[in-house]
Amino acid sequence: MFSISVNDKGIIVLTGRLDAAQVDKAREVLSGLDASAVVDFKDLDYISSAGLGVLLATQQRLKKGGKAIKLVNMNRMVRDVFRIARFDLIFEIE
Amino acid sequence: MRQQFDKDIRSLDAVFSFLRRFAEAERLDQRASYVLDLAVEEFFTNIVKYGRGTGNDVHLEAIRSGRTVTVRLEEQTPVPFDVTRPTQTQFDTPFAERKPGGLGIHIAREMLDGLTYDYVDGTSRITLTKHLET
Repeated sequence: MFSISVNDKGIIVLTGRLDAAQVDKAREVLSGLDASAVVDFKDLDYISSAGLGVLLATQQRLKKGGKAIKLVNMNRMVRDVFRIARFDLIFEIE
Repeated sequence: MRQQFDKDIRSLDAVFSFLRRFAEAERLDQRASYVLDLAVEEFFTNIVKYGRGTGNDVHLEAIRSGRTVTVRLEEQTPVPFDVTRPTQTQFDTPFAERKPGGLGIHIAREMLDGLTYDYVDGTSRITLTKHLET
């Protein structure tokens, strides 16, 4: 299961497993984003290239307007996926 | 363990359930389990996306032998697609133009310890191997 929500501090919170079957849920929220934001990965257990694709499209769209998303609290395996994809060069990861 | 799945993205949850049962039965470490989930998802969705096969099924088989796990994906298809050949990952493409195509197979290859492809008598077979840490 996967869920995406925005908490009372405006932080986008990802929970569960972001795979190819769940990616539309992420796209639905992230495609409406029009300002810089923080995305919290603390409760995200899994991501595949499908999830990376949605985040890439979001970052590309926001960067055109001088904005960006920052990714925080990744677990070790998710961070490895970002590193192998060289997405650590595209996103600010904290 | 062996199971047959419809060649449909909606089968992905059942694929993950199969892999989870295998991981629990074989007490796989967390890293191996993640890598197998990711690699199988990437190759399974590739098969679904490009729909090369004539059949409607994908067969998955998972085996543990000592400290090595092997997972095979098989489908009937008239068109071989060698997943071990280099993919275009667009690492040199400017950020604004970059697309995720080929990325999943690249990530899977990097995280696995072995990847082979066979095509015999109309059967396409992708074999993934991962060594266990514990």
